[in-house]
Amino acid sequence: MLAVARTFAILGIDAREVRVEADVRTGLPAFALVGLPDAAVRESRERVRAALCNSGFEFPQKRITANLAPADLRKAGPGFDLAIAAAVLAATEQLPDGALADVAFAGELALDGSIRPVPGTMAMAEAASRAGTRAIVVPAACGPEAALGAGCRVVPIDRLEQLQRLGGDGEPPQPAPLRPELNGAAPVPDLADLRGQPALRHALEVAAAGGHSVLIGGPPGAGKSMAARRLPSILPPLGPEEAIEAARVASACGRSVECAVAGRRAFRAPHHTVSTAGLIGGGNPPRPGEVTLAHHGVLFLDELPEFGRDTLEALRQPLEDGAVRLVRARYSIELPCRFQFVAAANPCPCGTGPRSGQCTCDPASVRAYEAKLTGALADRVDISIAVEQPDLTSFAEAGERSARVRERVIAARERQRHRTGGDRANADLAAEEIEIGAEVERLLADVTTAGGLSGRGRERVIRLARTVADLDRAASIAVEHLEEALTLRRREAR
Amino acid sequence: MSGSTPWVIERGAPDYPECLSDLDPPERPVLHVAGEPRAVAALDDEAVVTIVGARQASGYGLRVAERLGRDLAVAGVTVVSGMARGIDSAAHRGALSGGGLTVAVLASGPDVVYPAGHRDLYRRILDSGAVVSEHPPGTRVRRHQFPARNRIMAALGRAVVIVEGAQPSGSLITADLAAKLGRTVGAVPGQVGVRVAAGTNDLIKDGAHLIRDARDVLDLLFGVGVAEQRARLERAPPPRPGPAIEARLRGVLDLVGSGSVTVDRVAADARVAPRDAAVALARLERLGYVVADVLGTYSPTGLKPAE
Repeated sequence: MLAVARTFAILGIDAREVRVEADVRTGLPAFALVGLPDAAVRESRERVRAALCNSGFEFPQKRITANLAPADLRKAGPGFDLAIAAAVLAATEQLPDGALADVAFAGELALDGSIRPVPGTMAMAEAASRAGTRAIVVPAACGPEAALGAGCRVVPIDRLEQLQRLGGDGEPPQPAPLRPELNGAAPVPDLADLRGQPALRHALEVAAAGGHSVLIGGPPGAGKSMAARRLPSILPPLGPEEAIEAARVASACGRSVECAVAGRRAFRAPHHTVSTAGLIGGGNPPRPGEVTLAHHGVLFLDELPEFGRDTLEALRQPLEDGAVRLVRARYSIELPCRFQFVAAANPCPCGTGPRSGQCTCDPASVRAYEAKLTGALADRVDISIAVEQPDLTSFAEAGERSARVRERVIAARERQRHRTGGDRANADLAAEEIEIGAEVERLLADVTTAGGLSGRGRERVIRLARTVADLDRAASIAVEHLEEALTLRRREAR
Repeated sequence: MSGSTPWVIERGAPDYPECLSDLDPPERPVLHVAGEPRAVAALDDEAVVTIVGARQASGYGLRVAERLGRDLAVAGVTVVSGMARGIDSAAHRGALSGGGLTVAVLASGPDVVYPAGHRDLYRRILDSGAVVSEHPPGTRVRRHQFPARNRIMAALGRAVVIVEGAQPSGSLITADLAAKLGRTVGAVPGQVGVRVAAGTNDLIKDGAHLIRDARDVLDLLFGVGVAEQRARLERAPPPRPGPAIEARLRGVLDLVGSGSVTVDRVAADARVAPRDAAVALARLERLGYVVADVLGTYSPTGLKPAE
């Protein structure tokens, strides 16, 4: 007999429908699995066999052929287990009639017949609804996550035998909706931990208020990465649409969607040994990289000059476009990656700074280091702020709490929304969209003719000045705002 | 190519710098020279000073070396150095900007630029000064050639001034060689605790002359207050002052000069809000008093405000 079960493969963060066709007929007992399965999918046969036997079903002593269609799409991972088991069960008439009609399945099987969670159930539920499927059966642990994206019924099950209830009279339980609260997640570190360093705090506030990218420079121990880790705590919470997008990414990568649903922005800090594929995304089937995991959040590159040149080079286009396009021989996918970029760097490899008189670096290595700092990627950075180790005396005073700073940031974003009538932060505006008065224009012209600003640098400084003015609750950019922006801006190579 | 064909001066020839005969044993029988013959001839004058120092110099050291080079050039002194990164090239640049003669002693052939990034500086030195080497054209740099180069630099200067040098370092070896050759050794004091100041401070403690500016060097060369060179320096127009600035900005400029290089440090030391410090730094930068690097660290340009 032949039976067909629907399931989904995850490509990037999207789900592609896959049909599992199971053909069971008399012959020497065998279980063939075809349709470009990877090793994990091929091993599915053993899991299905054991899970069926351990759930009170009968594993047919016949010739079984399971085909995963489309046959030219590479299938990876254990998420097809449940659909294969369902198709085999239906083909051997161990499930009620119509159990597979308009139902999709996703889940990994344990040998005892329990169902393990799989990544991407949210995207699968969305794809199932688009395909007009009546219901999607998912692992119980993934129920709330799948329900986020579902326009169809989500049936969470935790054991294989619960498949028998499908198509029967009993209405299976609906998953409880996911509540926007955090249970297990660690709290976001607070800006109050930053002692002293008011200019650094202010630079972070400007960055948060306008969505500007930041380069923090200074010797080891000056608190660079400590400060960067606190940026998410002063960013406005994710909007409803942003939260859904962030949750979709988290789901597809097998991470908890809890933080996204609670409006918390992602903070990703890949180590500098990260590969290009790990950072941008890649592989076959393609998987999202760190930039996509940082979608609507913060991507932090500590020790920026230690990253590979090619890796940094590959980061440029995603940073500009807010999306990564991965092209494979038969298809291409687009992964979203709208993130705020934060980087930290020592002034030279030994960390003391080439002009400090304390540096022990070989001059050639200093130059290679500086080349990374002035390279094409650094050109996309808006703010640069140098820090030093704070005085011991300043350790006594706690800084302002993140919640207070965040209020000002949200107010500044509100002003931006009001002014542009859109959802764009100042960092995304073209300089022509920003009004500047005659006096500010004069000052800008002065600085430009003195050779202090390139065309791109001029635009950058105008955007920054707008954000400084927004934080100051000023309707127009004053000279002081521009001067502050001139200090905040990243310098170009001299 | 350089535009100037190197030529050879043999030991014993009339234009062979006499001071090199102090070297015992002599290095090599010939010198390979390129650039202005006038600059080579000037090496036999009384007024030749060698300025050397650390490659990994501090901002302070670079400013002092450039200023020394310029003022000595203005006073008519030929500045000898090694065209290395850091102090050496700052001294050459200073001498060139002062419109004086400068001679680079190379560890490679006279037509080989090392470090390669100093090609521009090399050309400018050839245009008005000279390069000197023991090695025939085309000789690449080898590690063992540097000590020999240092001996020549030490012998060429009537006085040898070390601007910055760690302990131990090549600059200190040059100072040592100079002392053994009977040359006057001077050193510029540095901040206690800074790596590249350790060597020069040690030299001063051990009896080297303390050098603050070009006048101190001229005093070493010609005796206190006797030389016409000194008068030339005094007659020369002082460096053009920057635009006048208010007292508050001057205070911030002084802080940057004394090592407050971040906005946070300036704000803390000047006891002002970081935003005010940022605005002050922006103004100073616009007026040309300070510059910031790509990380946002400030350093003074050396420009002095008008009184």
